[in-house]
Amino acid sequence: MAEKLEDLNLPMSVVTRIVKESLPDGVAISKEARTGLAKAASVFVLYVTSAATNIVKNHKRKTLTGPDVLEAMKDIEFDRFVGPLTEALENYKQAVSARKSGAGKKKEEAEEIETIEED
Amino acid sequence: MSVAKSEKDLHLPLSRVKTIMKSSPDVDAVGPEPLYLVTKVTEMFVTDLAKRAYKNIKGNMLEYKHIAEVVQEDDTLDFLREIVPRKITVREYKELMARKAARGDRSDESSEESSEAESSDGSSSGVEIIE
Repeated sequence: MAEKLEDLNLPMSVVTRIVKESLPDGVAISKEARTGLAKAASVFVLYVTSAATNIVKNHKRKTLTGPDVLEAMKDIEFDRFVGPLTEALENYKQAVSARKSGAGKKKEEAEEIETIEED
Repeated sequence: MSVAKSEKDLHLPLSRVKTIMKSSPDVDAVGPEPLYLVTKVTEMFVTDLAKRAYKNIKGNMLEYKHIAEVVQEDDTLDFLREIVPRKITVREYKELMARKAARGDRSDESSEESSEAESSDGSSSGVEIIE
């Protein structure tokens, strides 16, 4: 759980790096713009989460799944992300299954993915 | 280091995204697949927002107002209107209110002179007043 309030915000440095990579070289980003983009990204996480959990509830399920997230994108009218996101999910699944077949102990592997490093 | 990090194409820390997701009252556990997707789509969202804001820039500096402009003009970004309000000066705010009054717009009670600079007045219309 979140112990400090900062834990509920995405790190500004990382958000800024993503922004820089999406813009042409040499574009400066003001401090206020960085803060605004980082805040927007953090709120977006909650927005998507809430849209996805609504779908889970509507289906009378308990567990949030990948397809729920994809469906949520349509509900909040971000359909344009569904294509690239589906593609990314396929790559992700392949990477996960490649790792599983490589390492045999499936159960432990699955747990390992769940345990994400704290930075 | 986690295994997930080494072969994923993500920038944002999964742990932080997970913490934010779990702060939602309806979420108990977050599995690796939905966590990956939410993280990935958040990065797409940031890229998209930045690229659209970039179209508004005149010189070489991406500024807050360029982002606020995108947010205010796109209805699908309604959820951000209070997070990234358009900022205006007190003088612009007074002019805006005067125009509203002239139109006979009674959408909200006219605020008193003394309190009109409070941001709480402006945020309801997606505007934050700066001095």
